[in-house]
Amino acid sequence: MNERLTEQKSIYLQISEMIETDILREILLEEEQVPSTNELAKLYTINPATAAKGVGLLVDEDILYKRRGIGMFVSKGAREKILAKRRAAFAENHIAPLLAEARSLGISKEELLNMIGESSI
Amino acid sequence: MSLICENIVKTYSGKEVLRQVSLELQPGKIYGLIGRNGAGKTTLLSILTAQNPATQGTVSLDGQPVWENRASLKQLCFSRELNANAESGLASMKAKEYLRIAATYYEGWDKDLEKRLIQLFALDVKKKMGKLSKGMLSMITIIVALCAKAPYTFLDEPVAGLDVVAREQFYRLLLEEYAATGRTFLISTHIIEEAADVLEDVIILHEGKILVTGNTQAFVDSACHVSGRAEEVDAAVAGLETHYPETIGRSKGVTVFLKPGQSIDGSRDVSIQPVNLQRAFVALCGEEARHEA
Repeated sequence: MNERLTEQKSIYLQISEMIETDILREILLEEEQVPSTNELAKLYTINPATAAKGVGLLVDEDILYKRRGIGMFVSKGAREKILAKRRAAFAENHIAPLLAEARSLGISKEELLNMIGESSI
Repeated sequence: MSLICENIVKTYSGKEVLRQVSLELQPGKIYGLIGRNGAGKTTLLSILTAQNPATQGTVSLDGQPVWENRASLKQLCFSRELNANAESGLASMKAKEYLRIAATYYEGWDKDLEKRLIQLFALDVKKKMGKLSKGMLSMITIIVALCAKAPYTFLDEPVAGLDVVAREQFYRLLLEEYAATGRTFLISTHIIEEAADVLEDVIILHEGKILVTGNTQAFVDSACHVSGRAEEVDAAVAGLETHYPETIGRSKGVTVFLKPGQSIDGSRDVSIQPVNLQRAFVALCGEEARHEA
């Protein structure tokens, strides 16, 4: 939750991704309360409506849920859901730009696969 | 309970400072007013708060005109940028006397918050206003704006002269007050990027006219910077609203403002980058200045 905001992406998307990343890293645990939109607003000095929009995205995906009068909590199975979602988007977000750069540099598919084989994961 | 101004015109000795300005401020939002020096920002704020008569047009709160209307005026606070030079008559007044006058004027004045803010800013209120630095005078305007507790509060350049730590402190205090009360704030500033994420809506005033009004994020998202080989850029942005073109050799860059449903021709070999509020503002309002340079 303490990553810095960048200008490359809408703030509300960054807020929802930061909460997701904290769930992935188990900084936020399932069934645990997440910071309120006012707390997020103050931490990042952003408008509470922006923070609420980011949190709202995760509620729509059942990653967070609302307990009336208390606040937002991490849903059961949220971590699995985020893992599945990020794996599904891996090719588009990471492989596609890698291939585009390889193409413009004239790196063949074989060379690329060799490079990946030699890298430690 | 909106504050609405319609077709405001203001002329000073024949010169039109505001030209047909219409605006609606909804309750419970933080607005940002940005514009270049001389755009008419302070004039607009003083007319919205009935401290200055409009040449033409009306300002109303909840359907009632605000001019000489005590019930409406109680809902409004305009914390002006202070200038404690000899002519203003403020120079010889002690800061605490100034705050006492403000406390008398605003019925909902929060004395505890005043004490807390004086301490937080480490402000010596026994000093005469004329002896305070620009930053300290800004602190006074912030104290007045936050403590007055008016449902509609206008701050003119509240961060002018403040150091970066105090500026961040101000935005946190503002968000804290906003979260606790849901008051409406309108803030004018030249330090755009620091305020951008705090402002739910943005109003851009240029040469007395409103160029943009609406959700800040939506406005920023509608703009982007397109660059590459000049012919490719021109083809990619054909038919779109573009501003602030820059060329060097065969290369060209331009800021594009997309209307709903429009997009950039992605088949062209160009780089498309997001822009921030400050860049979008410069692209819209800085074009003439650039041509003249």
